[in-house]
Amino acid sequence: MAGVKPAIVQPNRTEWSLFVGPTAGLWSATSGSSTIARVNHATPAIPAIPSRLEAIAAYRAEGGQIAAVYPYHQPRALFRAFDILPVEVWGPAGRDPTPADAHVQAYVCTIVRCGLALQLSGGLEEADLLVVPHGCDSLQGMGSLLIDLLPPRQPVLTMYLPRGGAGQGTRFLADELAVMRSKLAEFTGHEPDDDAIMAAVLREEEADRRFAELLATRERVRLSEGDFYRLVRTREYLPAERFITLADEALAARSEEGCGRIPLAVSGILAEPMALLDAIADSGAMVVADDLAGIGRRCYPRGEGDDPLLRLAGTLLAAPPCSTRGDAVAARIDHLVGLVQRRKARGVVFYTVKFCEPELFYLPLLRKALDAANVPTVHIEVDLTEQLPHQAITRLEALVETVDLAEAEG
Amino acid sequence: MSLVARAKYHGGYSVFGRALLRAERIRSERQLAKPGFWRSEHQAPPLNVAPRLKELISRHYLKGRFAEGARKVAWVTSGAPIEFLTALDYFLIYPENHAAVCGIRRTAEELCGVAEDAGWSRDTCSYARTDFGAMLSGRTPVGKLPAPDLLVCCTNICQTVLFWYRVLADHFKVPLVVIDTPFVYRKVGDHDTAFVQRQLEEGIAVAERVAERDMDMARLRQVTVAARDAVKLWSEVMARGAHKPAPLTAFDQFIHMAPIVEMRGQAFTVEYYRAMLAELDERIEKGVGALKEERRRLVWDNLPVWHRLSWLSKRLAARGVALVASTYTNAWGELAELIDPDRPLESAAACYIHPILNLGTGRKLDTIKRLVLDFDADGVILHSDRSCKPYSIGQVDQRARLASEIGAPSLLLEADHNDPRAFSEEQATARLDAFLEILDA
Repeated sequence: MAGVKPAIVQPNRTEWSLFVGPTAGLWSATSGSSTIARVNHATPAIPAIPSRLEAIAAYRAEGGQIAAVYPYHQPRALFRAFDILPVEVWGPAGRDPTPADAHVQAYVCTIVRCGLALQLSGGLEEADLLVVPHGCDSLQGMGSLLIDLLPPRQPVLTMYLPRGGAGQGTRFLADELAVMRSKLAEFTGHEPDDDAIMAAVLREEEADRRFAELLATRERVRLSEGDFYRLVRTREYLPAERFITLADEALAARSEEGCGRIPLAVSGILAEPMALLDAIADSGAMVVADDLAGIGRRCYPRGEGDDPLLRLAGTLLAAPPCSTRGDAVAARIDHLVGLVQRRKARGVVFYTVKFCEPELFYLPLLRKALDAANVPTVHIEVDLTEQLPHQAITRLEALVETVDLAEAEG
Repeated sequence: MSLVARAKYHGGYSVFGRALLRAERIRSERQLAKPGFWRSEHQAPPLNVAPRLKELISRHYLKGRFAEGARKVAWVTSGAPIEFLTALDYFLIYPENHAAVCGIRRTAEELCGVAEDAGWSRDTCSYARTDFGAMLSGRTPVGKLPAPDLLVCCTNICQTVLFWYRVLADHFKVPLVVIDTPFVYRKVGDHDTAFVQRQLEEGIAVAERVAERDMDMARLRQVTVAARDAVKLWSEVMARGAHKPAPLTAFDQFIHMAPIVEMRGQAFTVEYYRAMLAELDERIEKGVGALKEERRRLVWDNLPVWHRLSWLSKRLAARGVALVASTYTNAWGELAELIDPDRPLESAAACYIHPILNLGTGRKLDTIKRLVLDFDADGVILHSDRSCKPYSIGQVDQRARLASEIGAPSLLLEADHNDPRAFSEEQATARLDAFLEILDA
């Protein structure tokens, strides 16, 4: 295997218990080296990416504060304008949900149960502020629990995401952001002016542009499945400027052509457990099109206008159609089928979290539309507290074989 | 709208159907009045207005059979502002109520199966699956549901209805009006109500276009007055449960709430609840309770378990337990003061953002506590409803707070409002018995 590989950074217990996601270097012990060996590229020399804990420590060292932010859509720029680093809490997968099970029922999804368990067991103590955007009924319930019945030591902020489309929604969301702005001013004791907020908005837009470009040119990015997702998921916790640096390096190291693997699309909520990505790589495929709520559906377009909050609201609502915003079925079908066609994906893996109603309502109609477009699909449902079941891997392999066979038959 | 369809509507519903249903109601009233008709050992006879309720509900669904092509039809969520639709003469179908009817008639399981065969997971709301099953198979215990010309979805009860209505809109290819009501974590902001009002105004424009007629503001005020009066009367009806013995139980409310949900804004609904209230007052005067012997009083939280309504009511009645109030039925009566017919849109925006399901877990706890205290209840049954996460999340801590703050014991009863497969009668029996023994201890 050619290329320079940085030292593997072993995640320590504190890091894992703090926030979900990449905690080790880009080539982490969890899946990195073996996966890279299967990619038909020379491995580029990209420096190790910081863990969540390192990102938090670095931000604190410069005098900033930390917000632990639950899924899905959040106004990163607004937090940064107040010198607060938003660090997202997605699960984490593999977390023991027992502390949350004493408060919420087992039929609530594990994104919420694990996220609540993390908070209740002290895993978010590093955060100065908790933020629970309104993502679905279950996140709504958790936010309300934290405000009314299980208050943590930190303040809890919420943000309602308007449904029903951009029209009236943009204005409302801008108003909602203005309320959050005043709460953040109260919390931090200072208030940035519109210019400072606009500067943060523009910086985040630059990061969003790189984020989208990484996803759009995935096939040429010379990283294994696991490492690629570790890279893009740093957007969940790195400051925009640091993400931009990392992304630029990965983009600059792109190859001219794809790696010749079977191209697939993935749709669902989040890429956890990340063992799925290893399974995709092991089966000879790769994800070239991402429609995950936590990743591809957060490719925010460049904003418009001079009012920073209106601009920010507009971008949050202009992201690709998403179940968490309750977008129209036709819009979701058009987007997903279009994405599959543009990226030449030959199959779609629906990777959903058990009890996730937003996704489950759309799923039959999305699959039907893809079936009509002769795109085979597989649905893999997971519980974040469990390992990826072997049955799921078998079904994934069957999908890849189907796609492969179809191509061989012309 | 076609002349043939209108003629069928007029003949089938207005002339023959109504007459038949009236005759059926009179027959039922006579039967109910016969000595010895009612033989329950534990429960008092049904209210005398019950045949009238049956007539209202049957008329409603009979209208639906003939409505297609004769009247504009809107399918709406149970918490949606419907006054503007009634004022525009839409015929309204409530898929949630229809699903509940399927639950009571024990057809929900079969219909859920149809939806599941089409790909919808058993982890989605059983109301939605029931209606998807009816939509896909055409099977319904009410005969026939008219296809919608318009869909109106209000998120004040859950986000689930939005996904559900997106599926309906995709299936029926008709406009969907979304009235999004921001969830109230703490208090309602001016921008929240302004947002709802703007959506209402846009929704009216869409409804006018589909109905091909303009809104008559005088008619809207008239409908709003009728809605407010019915809501006030319904609130008074429920308040009668505070008397000892309670003249009605929450089980009665679950059945008699149909008009306040489905027929709000109609003069006959006001008349119906006025008659019901008079009968309850008469019961109170005569000391007649809904149970022949009321030994314990409980509050119910969450949706009913429709498929076990009769079973549960008999089981509790046999132990002398009256459900004297419920947070669910209370939701349709507690906001009467917010309805102002002179400001129909502004007040609708303020009113429809406030249902219990759109308020935080602390506010819901306050409501349960208030019901326990106002109705002098001995405890609470919290229905942990697998199909309704927004209603159920928080119950575990609410249960603990009820005990620590007002000394009210409570039972967390696992079930599902419409899917009998998510309910174990044996387990529920054991838990209920154990809870009642604790109350008796």
